[in-house]
Amino acid sequence: MDLTGEFGARSGGGGMCRESTGLESLHLGDEFRPLVTLPPENAGGFTALLELPPTQAVELLHFTDSSSSQAAVTGIGGDIAPPLHSFGTLTFPSNPVLMERAARFSVIATEQQNGNVSGETTTSSSANPDRVKTEPADADSSQRLVSDQAAENQSPCPSQNNRSGKRKEFEKKARREKINARMKLLQELVPGCDKIQGTALVLDEIINHVQSLQRQVEMLSMRLAAVNPRIDFNLDTILASENGSLMDGSFNGTSMQLAWPHQVMETEQSYHHRQLQPPPPQQWTFDGLNQPVWEREEDQAHGNDHNSLMASSENLMVGSENLHPNQVKMEL
Amino acid sequence: MQPTSSMKEEFLKKWQMGLEIVRPSIDNTNVSERKKAIKLSADVAMASLRKGTTCWSRALIQKSATEDNFLVRQVLSGIKAETLINKKLTKKVVCHRKIVRRSKKISRRKSRSASEEAAAKAKRIVKKRTQGLRSVVPGGEFMSNDVLLLQETLDYIVSLQTQVNVMRSIVDAAEAEIER
Repeated sequence: MDLTGEFGARSGGGGMCRESTGLESLHLGDEFRPLVTLPPENAGGFTALLELPPTQAVELLHFTDSSSSQAAVTGIGGDIAPPLHSFGTLTFPSNPVLMERAARFSVIATEQQNGNVSGETTTSSSANPDRVKTEPADADSSQRLVSDQAAENQSPCPSQNNRSGKRKEFEKKARREKINARMKLLQELVPGCDKIQGTALVLDEIINHVQSLQRQVEMLSMRLAAVNPRIDFNLDTILASENGSLMDGSFNGTSMQLAWPHQVMETEQSYHHRQLQPPPPQQWTFDGLNQPVWEREEDQAHGNDHNSLMASSENLMVGSENLHPNQVKMEL
Repeated sequence: MQPTSSMKEEFLKKWQMGLEIVRPSIDNTNVSERKKAIKLSADVAMASLRKGTTCWSRALIQKSATEDNFLVRQVLSGIKAETLINKKLTKKVVCHRKIVRRSKKISRRKSRSASEEAAAKAKRIVKKRTQGLRSVVPGGEFMSNDVLLLQETLDYIVSLQTQVNVMRSIVDAAEAEIER
């Protein structure tokens, strides 16, 4: 996001540069050319200052049009400083001398850029809005001193820090809000958690809840393991018997009632036999859409397994049946 | 955000499928082996509900795949099982952060009031708890930020509740069947 913003600012700045370069040269002409020679280290410092964060650059560019038109209206002699500084977060030095220098420097920069396209786009574009604004100030600037230039050199740095800090703070705030929303949802989800204050305690409670659920799964699978050999038999019948409570009545109750007694009466052999074939269609009326897929999947998965499986499982059925009562009691 | 009946239905179907697959291996073993297989099938069924859209389900699938690859493949059939199993979860590498933090700590320690101290302490505790949560939720260490972690935790809890609800009703019914 930042990158695109910056890029937009730059490309926009390029456009602005070109149109205002003509203006600049028209106004200033040769008169200012000799003055343009700045000490190199000073220029370097200013370029560094003008390396604005992308949002700021965008802001400045945004206001360029209005300020330049304003400047055109007020003319050269007018005092432009107040409108310049009314632009919200804009905190540029009010010292016209410095601004003039900035203007001149940016002229150089744009000239350089025109000559060599690959070069200093950042400098020129970020310097540009400033120059456009300071343009009218050139006329009455000559009487000011350059004394506080050193101070001015440093002044944009804290503002830059401020800005990035602000953005960071904003991001932080958004993140915190997101986290709070999730936390609230979690609090609703975890029983007895909505009265607890404090993030750490809520997190504690969530961890406990998740762990207890995981333990419950362990325990339930243990209990199921104790009654295992008949579980698949049960799954079908339980599907029928528990549907009312389990699935909130989404099943067709009457067909279940029909299927139930039939299955109970089944012997072990017929139970295995039944597994080789797809379940009776009326048993699955609750899910007409998904059923064909499921049936297909199951058939291709287990159709070949069952023959080899039958013998061993039948033997085991007897042995494990004897284990049941003890195991169940042990579990409970 | 309670587990919906459609979710339960879906889970039950997947689980039944998983049980069918693991049955040959659990029929002639002891209780703990059977329990392991049942839990594995239930976990895979739960994870497959999300079709690999969430971090925790992917982590769970990968963990289960190391134990019983065939089962996972069968239960996941149709939902790009291969990619889910083989996809490497990338752990975010944070380099030099520790050093930066340490240096910050030293510079900050000089001026700190009692309230700041307390806030820092609370922050530390919350961080610890977050780490705890990361270790509890499958794949938690791969989640890049706290927002994602909480979101995944939400989803994971709902899925776990579904799993527990279905399993409990099945177990209750199965035990009632045996009592008879």
